[in-house]
Order: sequence, then structure tokens, then C-alpha cells
Amino acid sequence: MSTSRADPLALPPLAAEPALAQKSALVVGAGGLGCPAALALVRAGVGRVVLADDDRVDETNLHRQILFSDADVGRDKLTAAVTALSRFAHAGQRVDAVRTRLLPDNARELVRDFDVVLEGADNFATKFLSADACHLEARPVVHGAAVRFRATVWCVTPGGQPCYRCLFEDIPSDDASQTCAEAGVMGPVVGLAGALMAELALDALLGSPRAGRLFSYDGLRDRLREVPVSPRSGCALCGDDPKISELRELCYIAPDCALGA
Amino acid sequence: MITVRIPTPLRTLTGGNEVNGATLREVIETLEKQHPGIKDRLLDEKGVRRFVNIYVGDEDARFLDGLETKLTAGTEISIVPAIAGG
Repeated sequence: MSTSRADPLALPPLAAEPALAQKSALVVGAGGLGCPAALALVRAGVGRVVLADDDRVDETNLHRQILFSDADVGRDKLTAAVTALSRFAHAGQRVDAVRTRLLPDNARELVRDFDVVLEGADNFATKFLSADACHLEARPVVHGAAVRFRATVWCVTPGGQPCYRCLFEDIPSDDASQTCAEAGVMGPVVGLAGALMAELALDALLGSPRAGRLFSYDGLRDRLREVPVSPRSGCALCGDDPKISELRELCYIAPDCALGA
Repeated sequence: MITVRIPTPLRTLTGGNEVNGATLREVIETLEKQHPGIKDRLLDEKGVRRFVNIYVGDEDARFLDGLETKLTAGTEISIVPAIAGG
């Protein structure tokens, strides 16, 4: 019996893909999506992986935010995450942190430096801000979200169509929202979504993004569904007569951690 | 019978997920009778809310006939609301 741990199908490991060593990824949000996504990117050999967050590890994070342990509770997430990820980095790979939230006055500058952005934010303001900043800077962005037993993941090409605002036009209103604390989220569902985000990001980094397809996972029925997303001609970001050409603070005011509909 | 795939965030308002209706609008009205409050989560005075997508099969209802989209038995409707969390 062979003791080899090699893939029996002999698929070439992505880590051997030299192109990835030259690539960089920004992971917005070191939470339940960002943790597994960043881990997958580091282990795949992406040359530079940077996390952006400004939160501390809370006990209620531990069931899904897989880079953290009990000992990290109370520590700032980025220190704990970079420490954990660095254990898996190859020589020459860089794992860094940007200790901030994505904000209207820093978003474009932040995303500009990266080959792909993974957005796993827990609030709509950051989701729309990421979408707008990446579009304006022509960067591919992978959006991920998970609440309760459901997750959605999809990729938007650089400056591309369809974009996040083609699918969801604007930030949900307060009266149609509920908080994550009320809704809760299932750990493995978020983990699956984070892994899928990494896979879509790797596709984008290797030049073949799977755009325009919305993946949604239903953890109650163990079903992954894929539906096409069509560009919307009236889209404020990428439509025929776009209204968004800069990031204005007032456009991103919404309750944290909101759940639409 | 039309199968409506109701996302888990909305299942606090609903129990089952199979209803009758000849059009998308009828299905939503039927859902509302069974689960008061769900219509308001999906629609506003202009139609489907801006942060909700309703798919009939694999097609976004917005690109079909909207709420008047005709349905046949066995059609699967998916409701995809904007969610934030992780």
C-alpha cells in the first residue's frame, strides 16, 4: 500500500501554480467567511493575502471563525488571524493585515492594490461599498454572505456586469432587516461559503472568473443551486447611465449586520 | 402545485413551501394568506423589493413578466433576498 498523500486523481495542486505566487488578495472581514477563505488562499499559494477588519474575537465567533481558539477571545482579530495563517504560509508568501473597516474614504485606495477582493462583510454598507469601490477600480470581487442555514456566493469581474447592484439595488431599509444576533448562523454553512469564495477568487486570479452565476447553498436541504444573474440596464453602478462615479459617505448608512427581506 | 423555495431567513414566517397559483402574484397572495407578513417582506408598492430577487426556475422574474409571470405545475420558485452575515 502506498503511503503517498498525493491526490489519487493526480490533479496538479493549485499550490504548484506559479502564477498564484505573483498574485494578491484582499479579504474584507476576518469572520466566518473571511477565515476559511483566507486559509484556502494561503494554502493554495497566493503570494500576498491581506485581511481587513477592526474587530475583536468574541466567544460567539468561535463556532465558525476557524482561525480563532478560546485563547484568542478578546484579542484583536487581525493579530490572531495573521498568527494562525502564517503557520501555513510558504517561504516568500506574505500574510498581512489592514486594521480598518472599508470606509468610503479609504475603499478605493485599499482595493486598488489587489488582484482580487473577497468581501465577507457582516453589514450591507460594507457590501455595497466593496461592490462600488471594486467596480470603480476595475478589480474583481467575490461576494459572500451567510445567515442561518443559507449562504450566497458570487463573483463580479473587473469593472464588470452584472454587479452587486444589478442583483440588489440598494441597502435594505431598517424595517425590512433583522440582526445577525437574532438570525444566527450555522458554522459549516459559513465554512462552505468561505471555501467557495476562495475557489471563485482563485479562478479570477488565474484569469477565468466564473462571473454572472449566483451560487446559493441551503444547509437544511444540503443543496447548492446556481442561477444566472443578468445585467440590469438601469443599474446605478454598471448600467447604461451609471449614477455612481465616486464613493459618498451618505450612500452607505445602514444598520450593522442587517438581513434583508 | 408550485414549489416555492423559501430561504431560511424567511422561514420564521412560513412553515411549508408548496402552494397553488397561476401567476407569481397569485402565489405570493396565497403565501400571504398562509403566512401573514411575508408579502410585505417581498413586495413594496412598486413590485418586488429592490433587495429581493425572485427566480422562476432559473430565470429572474424581473426579466420574465414580473409578478404576472405565468407558472405551470411543478415550477420551482426561489426567493433570494440580500443577506449580510458570516
